[in-house]
Amino acid sequence: MMDQGRTLRLAGVARESIVDGPGLRFTVFCQGCPHHCPGCHNQSTHDFEGGTDADIDDILSAIDKNPLLSGVTFSGGEPFCQPEGLYALAREIKNRNLHVTVFSGYTYEELATMAQGKDNTGRAIAGLLDLTDMLIDGKFEMALKDLTLPFRGSSNQRIIDMNRSREKGEIVLDDKYMNVI
Amino acid sequence: MNVSIKQIVKRDGRTVDFDINKIVTAIYKAAEALGGRDEEMALYLAREVELYLAQTCNNDSPTVEEIQDAVEKILIENGHARTAKEFILYRAERTRVRDMNTRLMKIYEDLTFKDASENDTKRENANIDGDTAMGTMLKYGSEGAKQFYEMYVLKPEHGKAHREGDIHIHDLDFLTLTTTCCQIEIEKLFKNGFSTGHGFLREPNDIQSYAALACIAIQSNQNDQHGGQSIPDFDYGMSNGVRKTFKKLYWTNLGKLMDMLYDVDGSVDKIKAIGKEIEADRDVCPTMSNDNDYCLIEAEQLKQWIPEKEIESLQSKAMKYAHKEIKRSTFQAMEAFVHNLNTMHSRAGAQIPFSSINYGTDTSPEGRLVIENILLATDAGLGNGETAIFPIHIFKVKEGVNYNPEDPNYDLFKLACKVSAKRLFPNFSFLDAPFNKVFYKPGDPNSEVAYMGCRTRVIANVYDPNAQVVGGRGNLSFTSVNLPRLAIKANGNLDLFFEGLEAKVDLIINQLMERYYIQATKKVKNYPFLMGQGVWLGSDKLKPNDSVGEILKHGTLSLGFIGLAECLTALIGQHHGESERAQKLGLEIVGFMRKRLDEESKKTGFNYTLIATPAEGLSGRFVRLDKARFGEIPGVTDKAYYTNSFHIPVSYEISAFDKIKLEAPYHSLTNAGHITYVELDGDPCKNLDAFERIIRCMKETGVGYGSVNHPVDRDPVCGYTGIIDNECPGCHRQEREGDEGFERIRRITGYLVGTVDRFNDAKQEEVKDRIIHKVDMQKQEARMETL
Repeated sequence: MMDQGRTLRLAGVARESIVDGPGLRFTVFCQGCPHHCPGCHNQSTHDFEGGTDADIDDILSAIDKNPLLSGVTFSGGEPFCQPEGLYALAREIKNRNLHVTVFSGYTYEELATMAQGKDNTGRAIAGLLDLTDMLIDGKFEMALKDLTLPFRGSSNQRIIDMNRSREKGEIVLDDKYMNVI
Repeated sequence: MNVSIKQIVKRDGRTVDFDINKIVTAIYKAAEALGGRDEEMALYLAREVELYLAQTCNNDSPTVEEIQDAVEKILIENGHARTAKEFILYRAERTRVRDMNTRLMKIYEDLTFKDASENDTKRENANIDGDTAMGTMLKYGSEGAKQFYEMYVLKPEHGKAHREGDIHIHDLDFLTLTTTCCQIEIEKLFKNGFSTGHGFLREPNDIQSYAALACIAIQSNQNDQHGGQSIPDFDYGMSNGVRKTFKKLYWTNLGKLMDMLYDVDGSVDKIKAIGKEIEADRDVCPTMSNDNDYCLIEAEQLKQWIPEKEIESLQSKAMKYAHKEIKRSTFQAMEAFVHNLNTMHSRAGAQIPFSSINYGTDTSPEGRLVIENILLATDAGLGNGETAIFPIHIFKVKEGVNYNPEDPNYDLFKLACKVSAKRLFPNFSFLDAPFNKVFYKPGDPNSEVAYMGCRTRVIANVYDPNAQVVGGRGNLSFTSVNLPRLAIKANGNLDLFFEGLEAKVDLIINQLMERYYIQATKKVKNYPFLMGQGVWLGSDKLKPNDSVGEILKHGTLSLGFIGLAECLTALIGQHHGESERAQKLGLEIVGFMRKRLDEESKKTGFNYTLIATPAEGLSGRFVRLDKARFGEIPGVTDKAYYTNSFHIPVSYEISAFDKIKLEAPYHSLTNAGHITYVELDGDPCKNLDAFERIIRCMKETGVGYGSVNHPVDRDPVCGYTGIIDNECPGCHRQEREGDEGFERIRRITGYLVGTVDRFNDAKQEEVKDRIIHKVDMQKQEARMETL
């Protein structure tokens, strides 16, 4: 039986990515996704039975090896299908003063509702959202696909500046990366 | 009975009359080489040869080969063994020369009748279009010269080592002609004007002509040298042009305003006259920073036409317009500069000059304007928005000047990152790297290390320790050692390896000196621009018929190396990306070469330096020869190329941080030049934070010179620039739709090339390996690794 709190089911990682958020990032690709967006570029991450188990400490030691990183990105798969483990990982990442970007097929509004759950899952989602600096939300829409956009696959997806959103009490988009080119 | 020969059959099949004197001469020469002078004996032996062929062999029309065989036999049988040996050697040498001639003719045949796509020789240098008339003419000359030098000029041991691939003498086709490269001090050249040999150019008086003349200087100097031409302080050099233009713009605007508002006839000329007078008497003129007394002094004179209380406002209006117009003028000048350097052909009419410009540290408003606009012009691209291939831009990064947010030129450093993320240039040099910092004197651009072309660095000066400067100096010649071969031959025995390396380093030192002796016989008139116009340090004091031997000593004689990674793999089974042990040994090997060169410099007073070879033509040649000789050795000879200098192999998975950290220590050892590249898969334009982080990491780890490689693709139809796979993200057309494919700009030994077709075979392989990691954003998944 795996330890829910310290283990993640991953499709893989990218040790240095410049396409998953600002700066140079370590990207964690979660395994398992309920959205099944047509045209998704990571099809093999959908199956909840696929992937491999990874210990959070191993992920952290891989991150610690690279002092050049600006932050860590949770991508997938759907990160919010594993909120407990990612919340624990995010806490450690914030202790290292690194930036956290999370991709999700859920919208921020959906996630906010999910975060109200009184169980462990709800609390973990709320906790993870609290530690997220940048949230890129919404499903991939084939008809709105645009390869010129930074980080996003389709134009319906939003890059949300979570720190400013918390400050203002409303969704604030990241104007730097929403408006590039 | 027939006792004489009537005719012989030559090698080409023609029959000619027999002449016994030819045999006499051959035998006499062989004997003479041993000190013999007996002509009668030579004649006697020649008769014996004739007799032997005619009587014994019953052959009255022998072939040349048959006669030579007979000469050997007769010499030995008559007790002239040593002469026979000499004759055999002579014969072998003639055979080699003949083979080479045949080979040369074969090369000429291929150059003439084969397309560049099927002829690697035509693509040896990616900057030449081998399919054009001038491109082919250049190759005829170059290939012919190489053969001639190998046969008649090079010391036999140097020729042999080069031919067999132990060493590589770079730019062999220019062996007896000229030196490699030069850092041109543009301001000094412009002072009082200069001549191109076909006409005199006055000292330029505005930024447009500064930029135009800078191009002409680069082009003219390129015709005197085979390597790169560099301007080490482009911002300082051009800033006076901005100053001169600004002054004129201010005068013109003020004059026009006076005419319009106060009806002063001929006011522009009047204002100029006043301005020139003030300049002459008080040594001040209108400047961008407007921090002198010019306007006050001028105001006194303006009173004769304008009410006193309105003068200041009028002057500030003129300033405002001048500021606006100087920006446009500077941009246009920089745009023209970039355009010219990509279109003017030089170097036998087949190549555009290998030009580089260094800048970033001039903090004056004029210098800053130059930097900003050369960057903006590069960002804008050529006529249709294409990425400019030339010049190579080098942005000098310096703490206190442009590195930190509070530094005066920090905004320009940010801009440089942005432009490089889009256009691959500028590269970044780091003046704070300890080995560069020792030369640095604040405010003196001649003390700021500059890099030339792909990586060459010249600053230290053993010959004249008072001239440790960049201006007017360059590399004389360089020769590279084949490190992997030495390692293969040592078969794991490190002592044997270092023994072999020492011998090769000594051989190269000797060869570089031989080449210097040839170069030193030249006179000023042989280099009408480089020496005749005083570009090279010290040449301004010489006359046309003076020898350049002495002043050439300001230049460097460099030893280069290639394939450290394969060398280490051959020695201990791992390269320096794979184990600490290999890294330690790598540093030991490179340190060994540097130490030997330093000793030689101390001993001779010549600038012997170590360069991390940029090996375009060479990357395939060494490995081809070694594969033929030693077979396919995994990790050593199993690719089409040897890895550049001390680089970690491009196909090896490694984080940017680790690559930078591992390559940095080699920068301090390679004092003749070095560069570290980081490969990014993705479009850094969309993520400048990542780009700047990598540049900062290079600076912090002690790298001297670095750059970031990333794919730059462009759709010529809609103009989109970025990463393009099969479909253009801008207009969604497919590569095969329409007449034009997508342009793909890649970097090759430091220079950009607009089309991969012009890469030679080895380089095409390398680029293929390099881009394996590219994220295909259309079909394939993100590149993931397991933890």
